[in-house]
Amino acid sequence: MSTSRTLGIAFFALALAGALPAPAAEPARFVRALNLNGPALTIDGRAWEAGATAPDFKATGKAFANQKVALKPATDVARAEMIRSSVWGAKVELAVTGLAPGPHQVVLYVWEDNHSEQFDLLVNGKIVMEKFHSGAAGSWRRLGPWRAEPVDGKITVAARGASHGACNLSGLEIWAGDGPVPAPTAGEFVREPSAEQIAFFEAKVRPLLADHCYECHSAGAAKIKGGLVLDTAAGVREGGYTGPAIAPGDPEASLLVQAVRHASEDLAMPPKKKLPAHAIADLEAWVRLGAPDPRTGQASATAKKKNEIDWAKAREWWSFRPIAKPAPPAVRDARWPANEIDRFVLARIEAAGLAPAAAADPRTLLRRVTFDLTGLPPTPEETAAFLADTSPDAFARVVDRLLASPRYGERWGRHWLDVVRYADTAGDNSDYPIPQLHRYRDWVIEAFNRDLPYDEFVRDQLAGDLRGGATLAEQHERIVATGYLANARRFGSRVDDYPQHLTIEDTIDNLGRSFLGLTVSCARCHDHKFDPIEARDYYALYGIFNGTRYPWPGIELDKRQRDFVPLVPPGEVAQAMVAIKTRGDELTRLNKQVADLRAKLKEIAGEAAAATETQEGAKPEAKKEDKATIQARLKDAEKAERELGNTPLPFATAYAVAEGAQPADVPVQLRGDPAKPGEIVPRRFPTVLGGAALPAGAATSGRAQLAEWILAPENPLAARVMANRIWQHHFGRGLVPTPNDFGKQGKPPTHPELLDWLATRFRDGGWSVKALHRLIVHSRTYRLASGRNADAVTRDPGNELLAAFPRRRLEAEAIRDAMLALGGNLDLTPAGAHPFPPAHEWKYTQHNPFKAVYESDRRSVYLMTQRIQRHPYLAIFDGADPSTSTPVRPASTTPLQALFLLNDTFVHAQAGRLAEKLIAQAPGDAARIARAHELLFARPPAPDERAAAEKFLASARAQLGADGEAEAWRAYARVLFRLNEFVTID
Amino acid sequence: MKAPVLHTRREVLRSLVGGSLLMPGILSSLLAESAASSDPLAPKPTHFPAKAKRVIFIFSNGGVSQMDTFDPKPALFAADGKMTGVGGGLSNQQRVLLKPGWEFRPGGKCGTPVSDLFPHLRECMDDVCLIRSMKGDDNEHYNATLGMHTGSFFFSRPSIGSWVSYGLGTENRNLPSFVALAPQMPYAGLQIFNNDFLPAYHQGVRVVGGKEPIANLERRTTQRGLQELELGLADVLNNRHLAARAGDTDLAARIRTFETAFHLQTEAREVFDLDKESDETLALYGLKRGQSEGFGWQCLVARRLAERGVRFVELVDGSSAKNWDQHGDMAEHAIHAKNIDQPIAGLLRDLKRRGMLADTLVVWTTEFGRTPGVDGTKGRGHHSACFSSWLAGAGVKPGIIHGATDEIASTVVEKKVHVHDFHATILHLLGLDHERLTFRHGGRDYRLTDVFGNVVHDILT
Repeated sequence: MSTSRTLGIAFFALALAGALPAPAAEPARFVRALNLNGPALTIDGRAWEAGATAPDFKATGKAFANQKVALKPATDVARAEMIRSSVWGAKVELAVTGLAPGPHQVVLYVWEDNHSEQFDLLVNGKIVMEKFHSGAAGSWRRLGPWRAEPVDGKITVAARGASHGACNLSGLEIWAGDGPVPAPTAGEFVREPSAEQIAFFEAKVRPLLADHCYECHSAGAAKIKGGLVLDTAAGVREGGYTGPAIAPGDPEASLLVQAVRHASEDLAMPPKKKLPAHAIADLEAWVRLGAPDPRTGQASATAKKKNEIDWAKAREWWSFRPIAKPAPPAVRDARWPANEIDRFVLARIEAAGLAPAAAADPRTLLRRVTFDLTGLPPTPEETAAFLADTSPDAFARVVDRLLASPRYGERWGRHWLDVVRYADTAGDNSDYPIPQLHRYRDWVIEAFNRDLPYDEFVRDQLAGDLRGGATLAEQHERIVATGYLANARRFGSRVDDYPQHLTIEDTIDNLGRSFLGLTVSCARCHDHKFDPIEARDYYALYGIFNGTRYPWPGIELDKRQRDFVPLVPPGEVAQAMVAIKTRGDELTRLNKQVADLRAKLKEIAGEAAAATETQEGAKPEAKKEDKATIQARLKDAEKAERELGNTPLPFATAYAVAEGAQPADVPVQLRGDPAKPGEIVPRRFPTVLGGAALPAGAATSGRAQLAEWILAPENPLAARVMANRIWQHHFGRGLVPTPNDFGKQGKPPTHPELLDWLATRFRDGGWSVKALHRLIVHSRTYRLASGRNADAVTRDPGNELLAAFPRRRLEAEAIRDAMLALGGNLDLTPAGAHPFPPAHEWKYTQHNPFKAVYESDRRSVYLMTQRIQRHPYLAIFDGADPSTSTPVRPASTTPLQALFLLNDTFVHAQAGRLAEKLIAQAPGDAARIARAHELLFARPPAPDERAAAEKFLASARAQLGADGEAEAWRAYARVLFRLNEFVTID
Repeated sequence: MKAPVLHTRREVLRSLVGGSLLMPGILSSLLAESAASSDPLAPKPTHFPAKAKRVIFIFSNGGVSQMDTFDPKPALFAADGKMTGVGGGLSNQQRVLLKPGWEFRPGGKCGTPVSDLFPHLRECMDDVCLIRSMKGDDNEHYNATLGMHTGSFFFSRPSIGSWVSYGLGTENRNLPSFVALAPQMPYAGLQIFNNDFLPAYHQGVRVVGGKEPIANLERRTTQRGLQELELGLADVLNNRHLAARAGDTDLAARIRTFETAFHLQTEAREVFDLDKESDETLALYGLKRGQSEGFGWQCLVARRLAERGVRFVELVDGSSAKNWDQHGDMAEHAIHAKNIDQPIAGLLRDLKRRGMLADTLVVWTTEFGRTPGVDGTKGRGHHSACFSSWLAGAGVKPGIIHGATDEIASTVVEKKVHVHDFHATILHLLGLDHERLTFRHGGRDYRLTDVFGNVVHDILT
């Protein structure tokens, strides 16, 4: 992208923001340019010196040239020659001396001849670009301009490759002054075309462009493709995302010519049908002439305007409108509603000419609300107590009891963990364990249990580390809460060129879905196709997370945890960080020592074998001693490694984030490619949500502000999205059935006024989640029976109106937890950490990735969850996807589930325990059958059910013979676990 | 091709009834034909007439060398230890060219040259459409393996088998639509046969071979007739429960899954039991009688699954730990080739003589090729810029070679077939338009081919 285009867009952005652009500065003055490994030549009409012989200039690095590589984008002949000859090396330094004092600017040409490398660039010793990727073969970039003040007349430009990275530096331009550095002119365009040239253009070129290109590449296009317009001379010269369309005089170097030739499948235009040969020849001739073009008009401004979003119109979408405070509507049957919710629901039922179902019977209601709030069945004693309680607030007492139970947080915390794609491993190719992350899981569960207000819940997860706290414990809890961000997915196996942009994408993607119900990350590569989210909005958020330090969980080639946060008093953090690093370095050293010694032993063994084979006689004694010494040293080293590895740090650490070293605004990445930076965008909230921005030059990441922008009264999404999630888990479906997508691709709310009423109550009521539960479960709507008559089914097939309670299947966790509870072996002691092997033993690679299943009798929320390997049970029963947000659990019905219930050892073991319990707790068949029904279904058996069970037991006993009594009951228990009633919330 | 009828459902059931252990409830329920329309795996119409009804997808894990198998390069055989080309572990260095280790000879009447690594397969080249111009996007095993299976090189997405199941359903309701014969896990693990955001019944069912080829297939209740009794009571109680909730199709569907599972215990076992195969057939695959593992077993079971209407069968060759990844010594390719050569040739011949090759598409591929330049001392590195794969059977031109690489097999120079194009072509053969086979998820319509992919029409009959 040319500098003028960048400035143009920056100007445009300023104009948008309502600010006046600063007066244009005097353009910078050309001082000199150096072809670092090549002859003197003329580029952009300026004289370049030969690097090898130029005075006042020195370059380190090796000479390299390969003029055969096709450059991308193509460029003019002289520039291409300069680019394809370069100085390269892991460390290269260029020094220009004899410069006058005062501000200067530096422009650097770099290129890549084969495979992408990565390096840092420094001007006068200061990093100006970190971890620059050189791109695919043929890529080149004109980097800068960077400001620099000569020191004693000298400016240095240096490149430092990361571990294996080597850079290819091709050319250097030095400019004086602060003003804009002109863009390269890419050869010589004909500035004043002759009459003859104009005639050629009008006869041959203009019709061709108009007929075959304007549809996608002009101001009149419905949507301009690739940022390229061809209906003005400026547009042709400036080019699109992939660079200038034409290198004047050089058809071979012109993208436009390459495209119409269909030279590469990646760039073939027009895409469907290749132009006839004579048309291609005309374009080539035109380029050779220097692309004479009489057309006037702007390029980029036109192009930009075309794709601009109409913000006022965009904000009319239902979910972006301010939350209304609707009054509950009047209803005909005024006695029916128990609270306001019911008036919203009944109004729609009445309008549809339907009648609500009858109230659920108390047993059904108790089983429903107990599973709903705690994920476990009511005990027969709880059922009996509820039935015996005839006071008007009997149900309220049950709700209070359930909400006060620690089992509540385990149930509802899991719902949140689904949304934030919680996993105990990192998701890189070797799927490294993160033993510390359970603290975040426990924090979520505890946050629900103590009814942490949702606004605090948001602040802690996004910026808890920046919030401090009344006590040290609170400070640490808040640090742990940022495990939400740390838990973003890791990718691949690379270390130096780790694709951090993908981890940030995963962060933004999840943040958008979880807190805003928006698919923001669709705007990574291009403006969102459906919702008013621009690529600029995406990179405005990107800057916040680019300025955030993520912990490093370890990866195949860099196994050690890095940047975990020590949970120590603030004054001791620095010291603790040193301790972590020292221990890590020492372990790395010992690992290497052990590996080296083992290799040496192997070598000796090999030599010995070779010696035997060639029968060269007895080995010299010295060798034997050598072996013994090495063995002894190995033993010592292994011991030291083991001892250090098993000695934990004297403090705990959290998988949490911190502020990055230099938080700053970042450029848009064109088409999502980090190697193609565009304009720099200030860190801010998406424009459609108000666009609140960080103050210019903010030195913090902006996470604290982001939390406030999300929670601000002007943002209607935070309250709507969370209120909808709470409703969703009570009724199995949200008022908005797509809880992670409130945009155009989602579904609109079935009861928009009710959603806004709930959101208002939620926000104005101090963001209390438990208060919202109470409101919902005390509605009559929640307490309806699930049975529906034929009329209701015909007229409201999806039960959208909620004229009856929507029956649903239990989630994987509830089914397993209920089987454990019924077996009497559910372990309710605090779960804590998973039994991962000690970190110093981790040798996971993509060939042998970490893979484990830790069996336990704890609740399923505590099962170790891997990003890549799914827990076998959870995979069968639609458990959450641990690599991406799961807003709604599907409830699939598969034969594999049935096979599990038929034959899995867990089911058989639990059924065995349940059978023992039945035999021990009740005397005789009838009592045991009754007890079983109370335990599983919170109701007594009907006579025909008892009869069927008795008949079954009789047949089983007959079949099994004398010793079959226990097995008959086990078989009965297995039957019960397979019943629809067991896995259904009715 | 019609699947042979082994037993009718009724026969199986009546045989189980035996001494009337089954309760009347289960018998009537099991004998009742459920409405196929409520079956999410019921066969679905194609977008246009299909050439292939099913796919057998063979995946050789680790990166099979193109220049040592299907892409002969005289310039490499002439390597003199001085010429260099792309090499190193991840195609990131210039290295001395490594001479291929095996001679090439023409195969079949068409004469498609194949190296001595695949002497059996070479004889089948008249049925094979070889693609020498495959290209992927990533030089890491994990990412390339994920890409070859899901079209996505970094993110989890549904596997191609799940997409096919979603697009076409299954022809045999007693078997899964997508089976992965994967005794060991390849790179990227479960993700390569995962349904991801597609409904769970499109998940590949993993078969490991041996005593219990599918998890929980083995009856845990050993007493004869006890499980039938249990199912009988469950059926009575479930139907009673359903009667009070008439019209709840989810509950009805769940009752039916127990019937399918019940059958799977016998039918799946029958599929994996090779007892009734003739000695001659076993020999074709290089199998010994009684053998229930090995690649020959995978290939023969694949045929049996295909016969019974399973839509997509994946065969995983190798594991993430032991596979074709020969950085140190290319000679080890011989071990891996020997393991699959005869079984694959046997599969092609067996399918052909049974007439099944006419509507079965057999695919062989790997995650990437290897470098012409050396890695280590005698090995080759990962190379996604070009590699070879082949297709055989339904709708594919037999005995041809498509595409070409440069003189050292380092890059595609003719008719590039990207992984996305490969996927688009497989779907096309199944009668599915890869741009129309979409699933709405998280606010976006997803495709196997993302926003890419062109059908390779040149290789279609």
